[in-house]
Amino acid sequence: MDFQLSDDQLAITDAVNRIAQQFDSVPSDFHGFVLTNDALDKELTENQFFDIAQIPELGALTAAMAVERLARCPCAVETALSMLVLPCLPGDWERPLAVVEQGRPGRFVHNAKTLILIEDGSVALARNESGLTEAVDSLYAYPMGRLMREPDKVVLDSDDAAKVIDCLRVATAIEMAGLLQAAVDATVEHLSVRKQFGRQLGTFQALRHRMADCAVLVGGVRWLALKAAHSGRPGDAALALSHAQESGTRIAYDMHQMMGAMGMTLEMSLHLWTYRIKALLSELGGRGAQAQAVGELCFD
Amino acid sequence: MNFNWSDDQAQYRARVRTFIQENLPYNWEQLAHGPGSREQTDFSKVFCGKLAEAGLLIPHWPKAWGGDDAGPWSLFIMAEEMWMAGEPRGGQYMNVNWIGPTLMKYGTDAQQTRYIPPMAQGQTLWCQGFSEPEAGSDLASLKTRAERVGDNYTINGQKIWTSYAGMADTCFLLARTGSGRKDISIFLVPMDSVGITVREIPSIIGEGDIHEVFFDEVQVPADALLGEEGQAWSIIRYVLSLERVGIPRFALAASTLDRAVARLKAEGRFSLGAMEQAARAKAACEASRYYSYSIIDKRCHGIEAGPEASVGRVATVNAERLVGEFVVEHFPDALAGGDVAMLTHHQRAIVAGIASGAAEIQLNNVATEFLELPREPR
Repeated sequence: MDFQLSDDQLAITDAVNRIAQQFDSVPSDFHGFVLTNDALDKELTENQFFDIAQIPELGALTAAMAVERLARCPCAVETALSMLVLPCLPGDWERPLAVVEQGRPGRFVHNAKTLILIEDGSVALARNESGLTEAVDSLYAYPMGRLMREPDKVVLDSDDAAKVIDCLRVATAIEMAGLLQAAVDATVEHLSVRKQFGRQLGTFQALRHRMADCAVLVGGVRWLALKAAHSGRPGDAALALSHAQESGTRIAYDMHQMMGAMGMTLEMSLHLWTYRIKALLSELGGRGAQAQAVGELCFD
Repeated sequence: MNFNWSDDQAQYRARVRTFIQENLPYNWEQLAHGPGSREQTDFSKVFCGKLAEAGLLIPHWPKAWGGDDAGPWSLFIMAEEMWMAGEPRGGQYMNVNWIGPTLMKYGTDAQQTRYIPPMAQGQTLWCQGFSEPEAGSDLASLKTRAERVGDNYTINGQKIWTSYAGMADTCFLLARTGSGRKDISIFLVPMDSVGITVREIPSIIGEGDIHEVFFDEVQVPADALLGEEGQAWSIIRYVLSLERVGIPRFALAASTLDRAVARLKAEGRFSLGAMEQAARAKAACEASRYYSYSIIDKRCHGIEAGPEASVGRVATVNAERLVGEFVVEHFPDALAGGDVAMLTHHQRAIVAGIASGAAEIQLNNVATEFLELPREPR
């Protein structure tokens, strides 16, 4: 048990942080639902950060740290699936990746090169060909898309399917950890500045305790996701996503409540994190499915 | 970063676990039920004596005081295993965690010679005289007074909610020695001193845990003062640095949850609703675990734990609450004689958000020091 970063981990996390810092601000003229950034994707590609998990000295744990940091950026870039799920797909598949679950619209679906199709417990892979998908407008702060027809797909056997689901759970949980942290950070900034009744909102105990409770949950989501990335155990993955979706449900609501009417406008950036959180709440069956998996996997 | 236990750590844990299995009596679950009872206190002296002989009572203490300089993980792994087993060390866990090390740092030679060896042998019990009827969370408003008269101090006042006081040999006492809010000092007071009256307060927690202690013209020699007059807060800060994590409550909470789920499964009652509750409680236990581990890890690397300690305490309260509620909902018989282990957990869990500083104080700390929100006006 040693939570200090190794020299290799430190070098990678520092480098990822330096890149992320360049993309941490929201352009002043942006008032939309989805902020993407091809330049960030390009930087990560050129620096080979999508390969972190496959380097033995780094592994999925270090990749998870990178995903968590990048998820705090206001722009939505497909990192979690590429860094943490692509390495466990059988065969040769290209990033970006996207998940289509029960035929519903999904994140990054229109621009993905590889689609992971989840339907009634089966998992299949498909290449995204021209005319297969289309973009969908939504409140979610991800570029959303959907299938326009049934694709040619490779159905995975049960072992590979289970492995992909485990990796998806870890990837979603650690992405959620970054989004939750960014939402809390944005709200803390608001509560520290905004005054009502002659005082900063952050001085009112009713809000302070609520924020503190949320901060405790966020840290827990991060720890459980990192542990799951390190262990690779199915039970850890289910527990991590269960806690992330459970906490995300509360925190997305609470952060908007704290920010009041200002948080309802697209002039504030809170929705860029909270509506990405909301997009993740239903993934892989949502917290009910994760809880069932925890019940089956975490209690001997 | 690495979540694996080293071989040494794993072997040490196995050694502690084996020791516990070999040295707990057949009726331990019944004994563990009363945390400060005479039966458990007497047993703790036998048990801690054997721990000391086996070199497992104070491995983290310096060699000069009979320890092995084994570092913070040895203390914490020990604490996890002990707490999971119902804490057979009883109140002596305080001796090894913080009272002994505090005396090593601030005590005089005479105080160290008098008090540390019995702790190292597992043969003495202490209580902490902190809270008062009008000074709970607001500890600085305490009124118990120690007045210097010649070579003695005369102590008058009242402490309350004092764990282990009925069986304790010595009290680690906070008393006022001046008129200022911070004029508070620490005294090491023998509990058999003339003028001390202890009354047990019946409680939900179990036999022998909560007391009020009255000090009526109690005379102690001047050398009962620990450190200097008015030094209490700096000593308490040191104590907190040793006790940042507190008791590893998550360990017993997690094992109680495992026990409850195993029973639900065996009885065919592990429904989807129960699974959702169990998942929530399990996640809270594991979050608490890794917050605690991260603080111990920092101590191992010589890094002082900051406000993360308060974050960890809140996480622990969450875990205890969720497991406690899970048990009460699914095993109502546990509080009516149906499962002693679950009852013991319940009685320990319900104080998680109160003992050692209310959870609301911790939430304030998290808001101010961890999130850096502006302070409340005073």
